[in-house]
Amino acid sequence: MWTARLELPTRKFIYGHRAIGIPPDAVPAHSTPPQLRIANELTSASAILFDPLHTNRPPPSKLRPTHAGTLSIANRTDSSISVRNLGGGHTAPFPPTMDNRRHPSSFQQLEKLGEGTYATVFKGRNRQTGELVALKEIHLDSEEGTPSTAIREISLMKELKHENIVLLHDVIHTENKLMLVFEYMDKDLKKYMDVRGDRGALDPPTIKSFMYHLLRGIAFCHENRVLHRDLKPQNLLINTRGVLKLADFGLARAFGIPVNTFSNEVVTLWYRAPDVLLGSRTYSTSIDIWSAGCIMAEMYTGRPLFPGTTNEDQLQKIFRLMGTPSERSWPGISQFPEYKANFPVYATQDLRLILPQIDQVGLSLLNSMLQLRPEMRISAATALNHPWFNDLPQRQQQHAQAMAAAQAQAQQAQMGGYQVPQGAY
Amino acid sequence: MQVSPLANPLATVAQLETSGSQIDGIPRHLENSIRFAGAQLTQAAGILLRLPQEVIAQALVVFMRFLVGPEGGSLAEFDVQQVSAASLYTITKLSPYPKSPRSIINVFAYLSTLGTPTPTPDQLQQGKAEQYYVSEGTYQSRRLVLSDTEQRILKALGFNVHVSLPYTLGITYLQALDVFSHPRASDLAKRATAYLNTALLSPQMLYLTHQPGSLATATIYLAAKEVGIKLPEVEWWEVFDTDREELGFLVVGMLSVGSFAEEERAKWQGRKVPMTVDELEAEMKREDSGE
Repeated sequence: MWTARLELPTRKFIYGHRAIGIPPDAVPAHSTPPQLRIANELTSASAILFDPLHTNRPPPSKLRPTHAGTLSIANRTDSSISVRNLGGGHTAPFPPTMDNRRHPSSFQQLEKLGEGTYATVFKGRNRQTGELVALKEIHLDSEEGTPSTAIREISLMKELKHENIVLLHDVIHTENKLMLVFEYMDKDLKKYMDVRGDRGALDPPTIKSFMYHLLRGIAFCHENRVLHRDLKPQNLLINTRGVLKLADFGLARAFGIPVNTFSNEVVTLWYRAPDVLLGSRTYSTSIDIWSAGCIMAEMYTGRPLFPGTTNEDQLQKIFRLMGTPSERSWPGISQFPEYKANFPVYATQDLRLILPQIDQVGLSLLNSMLQLRPEMRISAATALNHPWFNDLPQRQQQHAQAMAAAQAQAQQAQMGGYQVPQGAY
Repeated sequence: MQVSPLANPLATVAQLETSGSQIDGIPRHLENSIRFAGAQLTQAAGILLRLPQEVIAQALVVFMRFLVGPEGGSLAEFDVQQVSAASLYTITKLSPYPKSPRSIINVFAYLSTLGTPTPTPDQLQQGKAEQYYVSEGTYQSRRLVLSDTEQRILKALGFNVHVSLPYTLGITYLQALDVFSHPRASDLAKRATAYLNTALLSPQMLYLTHQPGSLATATIYLAAKEVGIKLPEVEWWEVFDTDREELGFLVVGMLSVGSFAEEERAKWQGRKVPMTVDELEAEMKREDSGE
């Protein structure tokens, strides 16, 4: 049980040095047995990750690497150092244990996958299991401290465990870096369309399957009161088995009741809902549905549906296709901060003209997602039950499973049997 | 199992039993005094930063979360004012009212010259500019401490910075109880809100031990008694998932904050609650020598 003894020195060490009155000989930190010295060195991940290229700070000393609050994350590998987690009904294992298995270096860093404004993403391999992962590395020495996007992403993604949402395996926190370990996904939807599509356009069965995955992911977020707010093809990842998952929750936030005073500076312009463009600050789940509609159309054509350049241009591109709304078609529209009485007036176009490939049923779903008025937009849960998905093999499978489960239950009830439900559906 | 989005992660029994500070040998009474003063400081700083109460409340919950449990931050390592500042910094960053490190550092520098976490309006006028001036060098070093402490808080909390608050829930409950037809309903709502704000400072850390729904229920119960509005004869709190025992505990806990505050005031009269590690060391020495 040297694990517990490893935990002790830090506090006592600091304590001893801050000299609150314990005699120095009572401090065990300096008398580390030789066999533990190696273990101590192993845990100083910050020293390993420290890279003078990225910082002008002195090499890390007092902050030890830690896996932050991932105790409740499914499918995670054992954490070397777990962090205290406030239990939400379920108790966290206490006291935390510590071993060297989950050292950051236990991930082999492979090629760079992409670079964002605050993070660099690398492909990685878990040295123990050989499993591929995506390592999102966030630098902390910016002016901003820990980026708010990173805090939001971690705090939300810890809670969102669903097969259509990219799984956050672990968080490794060192002094000047924060590394998020995600499940590895093959490519994003944008790239998938470029590589697999016919000039970007995908075939209808693939589109239907992707839309089903997308809406399931969104529905799950919304059930858990999380708005994604930044859905776009680059943020939807596809794995080698053709499963689509939502990623990049940097702009997401939990919404309470009522939702208000959100900044309207969210959602990439092209996928931004008209109510947000008009300056609404009380938007809600419907903004993600608008984005999903734009993405659906884009999968058919290979081109973005509304590639606007400015806020105003974006609105115009939307109105040109969906028709310019008026106080009659959208009561209250003139109250929006960005509303202009002199919007050019366009008539509503038939979406089929620009999407000749789409079938009638699919078109009806698309139309219900691309409603200008947010309250008219279909919800993700309702959209999942749209008849367009009836012939989806996956959906039929799930339906059959549900039926079988119900039948089994009915049978049991008939036989007067009672069984504790196993592996809840 | 998915936890309700309206629920908060609560402190475990093990976390409530001890704290980093106690492990470091800080006596419980001093810890309570310092945490209470730190909470008041957070509230005062939030007001000076012109933050809405819901943002201040979230910062206060984060402040409390950090200071509980064996792995929590220890007051022997962190100045309480530093924990307070970093809690506000992190929470405002996630809110629609982000505050720059500069604003936060200025506000805390100003408050520290007043010598009390609860300045009266008179005292607020007494600050002398040269006392709370922050030089560029001081600013840079405090900014580093700020983001360092932020990291330590995030790490200790496992990034559990989301806080559900009872305020709007309380209003919804009042509506459900059909209180708003009563002429003094707004008095009731104000008293209930005041109790919710007071409970944020509670030495029992009620926001870490009870869900928002129960907090809202208990404040409505207290406020209705006080304002003299009759609520249904039945056990209405059951509707809001609060049983009699929890209600009783919360009512007692909330009422006791007032007397705790009085005792604290009497105890520290004419003296400053130690707000930094150095001040705490000095205070502990003083206590040891039996003065």
